[in-house]
Amino acid sequence: MKDILRLTRRFAGIMTLSFCLLFAVNILLLSVIVSRQNSNGGPWTIAEETAAAILPLPDGGGFALTPEAEAALQNCGAWAVLIDETTLRTVWQTEDLPPSVPAVYSASSIAGLTRGYIDGYPTFTASCGFGLMVLGFPRESYWKHMWPSWDYQFIAHVPQIFLLFAISNAVVIFLIYLTANYRLLRSIRPIAAGIQTLPAGRPVHIAERGLLSGLAASLNRTSELLKNQQYELRRKETARANWIAGVSHDIRTPLSMVMGHAEQLKEDSILPPAQQKKAAVILRESERIRDLVSNLNLASKLEYNMQPACLKPENVTAIVRQAAADFINADIEEKYPVEWIGAQPAFAYTVMADRELLSRAVMNLFHNCKNHNEDGCTIYVSVEAAGGATDTNSFCRIHGTGSDSLCRIRIEDDGAGLSDEELERLRTASRPIASDSDESGQPHGLGLLLVRQIAEVSGGTVEMDHSNHGGFSVSIMLPLLRVPFSPDADNTPQE
Amino acid sequence: MGADYLKQKHILLVDDEPALLALVTSVLEQEGYPFIRTAATAAEALSAARASAPDLAILDVMLPDGNGFDLLVKLRVFTDCPVLFLTARGEEEDRFRGFGLGADDYMVKPFSPRELLYRVAAILRRTYRDEDPFVELSGCRIDLTRAEVIRSGERIPLTAKEYELLSVLSRNSGRIVTIDALCEAVWGDNPYGYENSLMAHIRRIREKIEQDPSHPVSLVTVKGLGYKLIPAKSGQNAS
Repeated sequence: MKDILRLTRRFAGIMTLSFCLLFAVNILLLSVIVSRQNSNGGPWTIAEETAAAILPLPDGGGFALTPEAEAALQNCGAWAVLIDETTLRTVWQTEDLPPSVPAVYSASSIAGLTRGYIDGYPTFTASCGFGLMVLGFPRESYWKHMWPSWDYQFIAHVPQIFLLFAISNAVVIFLIYLTANYRLLRSIRPIAAGIQTLPAGRPVHIAERGLLSGLAASLNRTSELLKNQQYELRRKETARANWIAGVSHDIRTPLSMVMGHAEQLKEDSILPPAQQKKAAVILRESERIRDLVSNLNLASKLEYNMQPACLKPENVTAIVRQAAADFINADIEEKYPVEWIGAQPAFAYTVMADRELLSRAVMNLFHNCKNHNEDGCTIYVSVEAAGGATDTNSFCRIHGTGSDSLCRIRIEDDGAGLSDEELERLRTASRPIASDSDESGQPHGLGLLLVRQIAEVSGGTVEMDHSNHGGFSVSIMLPLLRVPFSPDADNTPQE
Repeated sequence: MGADYLKQKHILLVDDEPALLALVTSVLEQEGYPFIRTAATAAEALSAARASAPDLAILDVMLPDGNGFDLLVKLRVFTDCPVLFLTARGEEEDRFRGFGLGADDYMVKPFSPRELLYRVAAILRRTYRDEDPFVELSGCRIDLTRAEVIRSGERIPLTAKEYELLSVLSRNSGRIVTIDALCEAVWGDNPYGYENSLMAHIRRIREKIEQDPSHPVSLVTVKGLGYKLIPAKSGQNAS
């Protein structure tokens, strides 16, 4: 619809421009013609010149024209008479005076010839000291407007009248355009609407009739083609996700055996330490395969929208604490101590999230620290409002800042960390990547991609950086749903 | 990992994969559970359970002659024993279905044998708590049925909230229980804002169970995260 309006506006613009151009061209043309008309002086001017050129003869016996004036009269084929002012008789005339021209005049006949003609000859007058000079031109040389009188109001309102004319003309021409193009516009409108609908992925069907039926048919075919392609794409995506889900399922039982036996061997005191160490490696790698397959499965489901997220207001602090507790509980060797460096007592930050997915993302980050620091590392966890208001325990102060719209879950370690290049590569990666290696030789990628996918499900983002503690730092930034709820801080005894 | 009487419980293990049955049996036996019966099909499992009702059933979901969910329904006709699903099916709807049928826990393969042992121990402890209601700690024992701490022969009563907290902590003894989980257990569905109250209650519990409450050894704080109840090692109890 907007495009049609734009089209109409464009036409109106072109029309206005055309008007202006036409007006200018017409004025120019008229000026040229009129100037040519005036180039020979015009009949009134000739009459004036002739009146000025009549001279009394020295002997008092009449009048005579100067030779130049006579030549001018002959040039335009005009005759002339000089009428005496008192007697109203002809006192001088040219030789070629037609016989039908009277020799005596009355006041009314002089008024008539001044306004019009004598026997069809257009006449023009000019006064001189000796009377009235009357010039008669050939019959078809001039047309005279005999009653040139105008209503005064009309003349006074000429500019408005011209404007009215211009507007009326414009409206009439626009109506002609609309009428002429109505059918075209009617045909274009559904096609334009259809083209605008296509990018939204919705199917389009337009009636194939009217001026642009061919175009409508092409659009319908395009829509059909897109629909089929979408269906095929969706089918392939579903098949791929199902395949990954199938592999992920089928690998679980055999992997259970590998992990189970490896764990038993690892703890079998009869075995020599070297063998136990090998079993530990098998166990660790099996766990990595388990995490990889599980991440791949979830990532593919999220990517193909096969796992609709169940977003509810959730307490991020509780989710992160539970994930941290689960991680510590599973860390039997205590090689990966977790330190909570957030505010204590902690605030309950509420965000819209899928509890299970967010928990998974946080757990992935813990495992990331573990996987890339085989010799152990300390993991630092914090949950805070983004905007620097985290160091306060006051609900009012937090509430008062009004600038904290994000909740930051930060998991960092004091382990090996990453080089600047690897960090940059991770930040810019939009697809699952297997970076060449980090310092421990383990690829980062799918786990972090999954974290990013999960953050995006909640409308959040992921930030990666070097940690102040020396290792790698990942922050999940989630939009805060409401201001943090403070603990029942001040009137209960502190531990 | 668990009290000795719990090790005497009969466990029924159902999985169609013989190698996995062997593995889990071996893991449980090594941990000290001698009474393990295995079944590879739903029919075998039913027949074994009818012959002698198990104290705990570990079920796979996909079985050659049916599925674990149906098997659980059939088991429920004649036994209320706790059930743990151990399956490759990790989808949310599967887990919800399992829990919806009354399963006590749901583990997805591949699993860590150690985690399985923890979960088995937790289920048994929870289910058969009344058979031995004492929680042995370093320096005291807690009698959960009477809500008392027994220290040096003296019986110290627990308040309702202290009892709730110790119940949750003892069910997860040796593991961190988060501040949020503890608050939820004591103050219900809207537990936000009770963190300082929780600290106060923990301090009072320590006064009852610890020899030196300022330097706790049985109920330790995991900074920022939660608390952990450390069970006494064998023979360590001083009550």
